Amino acid sequence: MSTANKTIHFTLNGRPVTAEVAPHHTLVELLQNQFNLNGARESCAQGLCGCCTVLVDGKSVSGCLYLASFADGTAVDTIEGVADGVALDPVQEAFIEAGAFQCGFCTSGFILMTKQLLDAHPAPDDDQIRHYLAGNLCRCATYPEIIRAVKLAATKRKTVTA
Amino acid sequence: MIPFEMLEPKSLRDATALLDADDPTIRPLGGGTALMLMMKAGVFQPSRLVSLRSVEPRYSTITVNSDGSFNIGALAPLASLEHSADIHKHLPVITRTMQVLSNVRVRNVATIGGCLAHGDPHMDLPPVLISLGAKVRVIGPDSERTIPVADLLTGYYETQLAKNELIAELIIPPQNGKRSVYLKCTTRAAHDWPALGVAVSVAGNRDGLSEAHVVISAATERAQRVEQASALLVGPPANDKLFKDAGEAAASAVELIGDSQGSVPYKRQLVRVFVERALRQAIDGGITQ
Ligand SMILES: Cc1cc2nc3c(=O)[nH]c(=O)nc-3n(C[C@H](O)[C@H](O)[C@H](O)COP(=O)(O)OP(=O)(O)OC[C@H]3O[C@@H](n4cnc5c(N)ncnc54)[C@H](O)[C@@H]3O)c2cc1C
Ligand code: FES
Ligand code: FES
Repeated sequence: MSTANKTIHFTLNGRPVTAEVAPHHTLVELLQNQFNLNGARESCAQGLCGCCTVLVDGKSVSGCLYLASFADGTAVDTIEGVADGVALDPVQEAFIEAGAFQCGFCTSGFILMTKQLLDAHPAPDDDQIRHYLAGNLCRCATYPEIIRAVKLAATKRKTVTA
Repeated sequence: MIPFEMLEPKSLRDATALLDADDPTIRPLGGGTALMLMMKAGVFQPSRLVSLRSVEPRYSTITVNSDGSFNIGALAPLASLEHSADIHKHLPVITRTMQVLSNVRVRNVATIGGCLAHGDPHMDLPPVLISLGAKVRVIGPDSERTIPVADLLTGYYETQLAKNELIAELIIPPQNGKRSVYLKCTTRAAHDWPALGVAVSVAGNRDGLSEAHVVISAATERAQRVEQASALLVGPPANDKLFKDAGEAAASAVELIGDSQGSVPYKRQLVRVFVERALRQAIDGGITQ
């Protein structure tokens, strides 16, 4: 049996990168151990909480359930790539203005999911927000503020694109 | 997780040759969402995984045929079914079921093949697909066969597949105006799996049904058709009394499992209520397909 490492190439937050991965390594482990990106972090390790959310080819995945080798040839985006230099993304601004976090552990996941949510539903109602974010947990229970932040972000995005 | 070997064949047929009919430590890998959980928990320790992610792209496509039947490649992610306009048009029960299946990230990665091969009786799509009369096309190193989804699932996490057989595609026959509903009852157990799933599919109206399929899952060791209920529904006026009788027939026919989601008597009552409710919704809900 060969458990050999594999060399993979992918785009990480817009930059081409190369990494050596073992077959059993997860995407979160790869991002943390080889790229020092700690925004996606493992909490439940079961796909339920969303703290490990990253985007692969523009689609959200749970980095804890996603093998690192799957990233070969893809474009991976993490929370670290969301701001444009020092200018925050409207979703990030909205989370700060709405006070949509306490400890912040879940926030990177919620922000990435909210960006996806607003791509799918530019003006979501409460039901759509709750449904879309049902796979993200906040142990500090800032859910009411998160819903407000998503709506605020939707308005900010409209102003940006208008 | 412990180290293992990972192979990435370029064709589905080649993948079957890398599996081993006699070695349970070698398994195919679709989206990996279920396998990752099992590997992390240590209940599955593979020596080799055969990733299907690089096989021919046609195994990821959704095709609607002129008669309204569907061929869906085993590697199609659940999200592609969720967002398919053709599925929404012809099989809206699948679109609706996706709304209550797991979360966005899992649906983005999990495949329909993995969903059917996993054999967990709590899953949402197998009962729906059984009620629609769906089949799977299965290939082995030098074999090919087509199995109804109802027969694929043989027990708790058990299927009819040999260890070197792969699901190649899902085939859903034309529904010709049948109406279908899936309901699940979640009892706020810690892991959120349902205590009961009920899928029904009927042809006809309040004057009488010409076809009826009742499928129970989650409370049983596998998703299964309840022939006693289906048979009773065909023919007589489809009134609330008939639906109640069908619920009663289903409740006494199925063998239920008591667990943290509910006791056997509790689940029996759920079967009565949910079968009746699903049938009423199918007839009155105006949900055609
Ligand atoms: C957080 C979380 C929540 C979930 N919630 C729900 C829910 O609410 N409802 C629900 O229905 N399900 C739920 N699931 C289960 C989910 O539907 C399954 O994990 C998923 O469908 C498995 O698909 P996969 O492609 O990831 O399979 P994999 O993990 O790749 O494989 C699963 C099994 O199928 C085998 N396999 C894979 N592809 C094939 C093939 N083509 N031919 C033969 N065998 C194959 C594998 O060897 C393995 O034994 C949840 C899962 C997670 C992680
Ligand atoms: S750590 Fe991945 S979803 Fe919770
Ligand atoms: S802010 Fe603490 S977990 Fe969400």
